[in-house]
Amino acid sequence: MGAGRGQLSLYSLVKSLADNKQLLGMRYAEWCIAAPTLEADIAAAAMGLDDIGHSRVLYGSLRELGTPDGAVDDATSYANVPYLDRPWTEWAEFVAANAVLDGAFTLMIEALANGNVEVLRSRLKKMLQEERYHALHGRSWMREVKAGAALERAWRESLEWIGPEDGDVDELHRAGQLAHGVRDLRRLLEERLDGQAPQTAIEWGNWEPIRRRTQAGGIDQATLDMLQGLAEKRYMPATG
Amino acid sequence: MRYTRVHTDVQEYQVFARKTRVEPLHQVGSVVAPDDDLAMAYARATYDEERWVEMMIVPRAAVISLWAPGGDS
Repeated sequence: MGAGRGQLSLYSLVKSLADNKQLLGMRYAEWCIAAPTLEADIAAAAMGLDDIGHSRVLYGSLRELGTPDGAVDDATSYANVPYLDRPWTEWAEFVAANAVLDGAFTLMIEALANGNVEVLRSRLKKMLQEERYHALHGRSWMREVKAGAALERAWRESLEWIGPEDGDVDELHRAGQLAHGVRDLRRLLEERLDGQAPQTAIEWGNWEPIRRRTQAGGIDQATLDMLQGLAEKRYMPATG
Repeated sequence: MRYTRVHTDVQEYQVFARKTRVEPLHQVGSVVAPDDDLAMAYARATYDEERWVEMMIVPRAAVISLWAPGGDS
């Protein structure tokens, strides 16, 4: 599938945001006993809960945003960035995701909360209050940790996730559903992180519009089952 | 999983909060952080279980003690 010149609905963008938030929450939570300080352990758990909560609100808004553009409820339709496909093995990966990827997702929430879609205007504002503390955490840890390759990867995948110019995001912006277009989102992300995005060429020809990424692959079925609560159902007592 | 402990230069911040406008702020705990940004994030993450109407942090070094238990009052 090509660069997706604006053919997608708001549904797909919000679904991808929800998927990423859910998986980011899980990845944060995986570090709740492995971060470098006790306070960072607690912050990882708290931010994980926040993001899983945000995903529930976003999923709950989908039914008012039209119909899916593709398949739903299987691993191939789970629309997350590759950075979240597998657990992180280094704290630097946590920090880069916290500062850059979480920052990109927050900017999109801000664009939705200030757009003209009422259900999103009313439900997304509280997320921005909570995300302020994620940004403080990420920005401060960026000063402590040399995130290097992880940082570059987080930047590249954030830009891929925001999408190409004149794609769906710019079309939704022109329709008033998003308060920012692609160029605004890129610029604001750089401003908030006090830095420039690395100059990397993105192969937009490989970009999958629904999953908002150029790289093949994705989460495995076991992870999807866990995220959807299917794995836990095995432990529920039988009824009847 | 390997990691190294960081933050060689940190300070303690005391955390104050209240649940209603009519009650005074009281100390609910403390956090240790290298800067104000992280201290705010840690205070919110650690002490956010109650429905506070106000929360603030103060560097421990900025608190001037007049007297304390065990001291010469």
